[in-house]
Amino acid sequence: MRFDTIEYFVQEVFRSLKRNNWMTFASIGTVAVSLFVLGVFLILVLNVNRMASMLESQVQISVYLQEDIKQVDRVGIGQDIEKMQGIESVKYVSRDEAKKRLAERLGDQKYLLDALGDKNPLPESYEVTVKSPDMVETAAAAISKMDGVEEAKYGQDVVQHLFDITRLMRIFGLALMVLLAGATLFIISNTIRLTVFARRREIAIMKYVGATDWFIRWPFMLEGIVMGFIGGIIAAVALRSFYAAMAAKIYDTLAFFPLMPQYPFMNYITVALLLAGMVIGAIGSTISLKRFLEV
Amino acid sequence: MIHMRNISKIYDDNGTIALDHVNIDIEKGEFVFLVGPSGAGKSTFIKMLLREELPSSGELIVNGHDVVHMVRHDVPYLRRGLGVVFQDYRLLPDKTVYENVAFAMQVIEAPRRLIQRSVNSVLDVVGLREKYRCFPSQLSGGEQQRVAIARAIVNSPALVIADEPTGNLDPDTSWDIMDIFQRINKSGTTIIMATHDKTIVDRMKKRVIAIEDGHVVRDEAKGVYGYAV
Repeated sequence: MRFDTIEYFVQEVFRSLKRNNWMTFASIGTVAVSLFVLGVFLILVLNVNRMASMLESQVQISVYLQEDIKQVDRVGIGQDIEKMQGIESVKYVSRDEAKKRLAERLGDQKYLLDALGDKNPLPESYEVTVKSPDMVETAAAAISKMDGVEEAKYGQDVVQHLFDITRLMRIFGLALMVLLAGATLFIISNTIRLTVFARRREIAIMKYVGATDWFIRWPFMLEGIVMGFIGGIIAAVALRSFYAAMAAKIYDTLAFFPLMPQYPFMNYITVALLLAGMVIGAIGSTISLKRFLEV
Repeated sequence: MIHMRNISKIYDDNGTIALDHVNIDIEKGEFVFLVGPSGAGKSTFIKMLLREELPSSGELIVNGHDVVHMVRHDVPYLRRGLGVVFQDYRLLPDKTVYENVAFAMQVIEAPRRLIQRSVNSVLDVVGLREKYRCFPSQLSGGEQQRVAIARAIVNSPALVIADEPTGNLDPDTSWDIMDIFQRINKSGTTIIMATHDKTIVDRMKKRVIAIEDGHVVRDEAKGVYGYAV
């Protein structure tokens, strides 16, 4: 492609963006809103996924002992666990220790424990670490069958719940994305159609003097891509501040929540949104051009 | 230049037979008038040369291109060898005379230097060099048609197709236009002109092909219009 040609394309793009300023504005707005919603879902799904996989990869099993267990039996259980295959370490947690930890975890809300007075409802337990995550399930099953063990818990329940949630969010998010993408495509292709219509004489002449389809198509494609790109930028900027604000809020109240760090995560999201905007723009303009090129 | 064998065109949507087994050969450098009543098939004939319409059957070679078996992708290259002039000029109102003519070269990605040289020289041919900065709205009908002719010949086509080029012009202006076409023809360019202008056809004494109801009813060298006006 010649430099003159590129210059011509760029001129055409800005001329028509200016000519259809309201439709251009509406298109960019729709792209921005759609991509923003898409981005929110992306962030949610990725974060919950991450949380789930973090929990899943935890190699720790909490073994709660029966309340009335004798010390001999307790020690015996500890030794039995240690002898099992794939066990990394076994650590005893007394009832006092458990209460102290709970108090720490509650932090500001420690006063809740005051209601218990001197009573301590927490059972004795062992913290068992296995050598690799895939051993957790079998080890936990075996331990829970031992005499004197009330239950052996690891992240399974939570992980299962989280996966259920992400699956729902994915389905819902996907449906919403399809809808939004459809709406965006519609409005972009309509905007481009205006441009095409305004320039139909020009297109006809171009065809008569032997311009190739691609030569005719490029300015419109670029127009769509530029609109998608600008929409993507707006969505990305909004999403970045949204995420920053959300992260600040979450760290304030739920300090232990394993949120995706903003960088480089948000950079990937930004790139994804820009690409999505450009692709939608390109497709939108191709749709509206198809009929006019059939001369 | 044009080789037409048994060309028929039947429009799918209403079954109209626009051309019925037409055989025409036109050699390089000829000047041919295409005459006949409205709706006789002249427009279809011209559209087919440009491959706006495909024949339903038959064989058609235009300027060395097999129009019938041509893939869509090659159509622009067929058209680069042809220049077209319409009755309604079809200039772009927001471009100057110069830009309108240069546009035809821009869109086939000619180098800028060549564009400048060629546009200036065709504007000389049509006598509009001084008005290169005017917009179409500032020109008379005849001048606008001269711009359209300049645009049609700026890429040095082997064949110029003109569809009623003098249809909107008064007789004097029409002769100016015909004069330009004749000069273009003298330089070796083949010209095919559909027209209803009896005076012009009768005075020019060129080859005349008459089409009626999709048939060639007359094909004479140095012919006349032959219809009552």
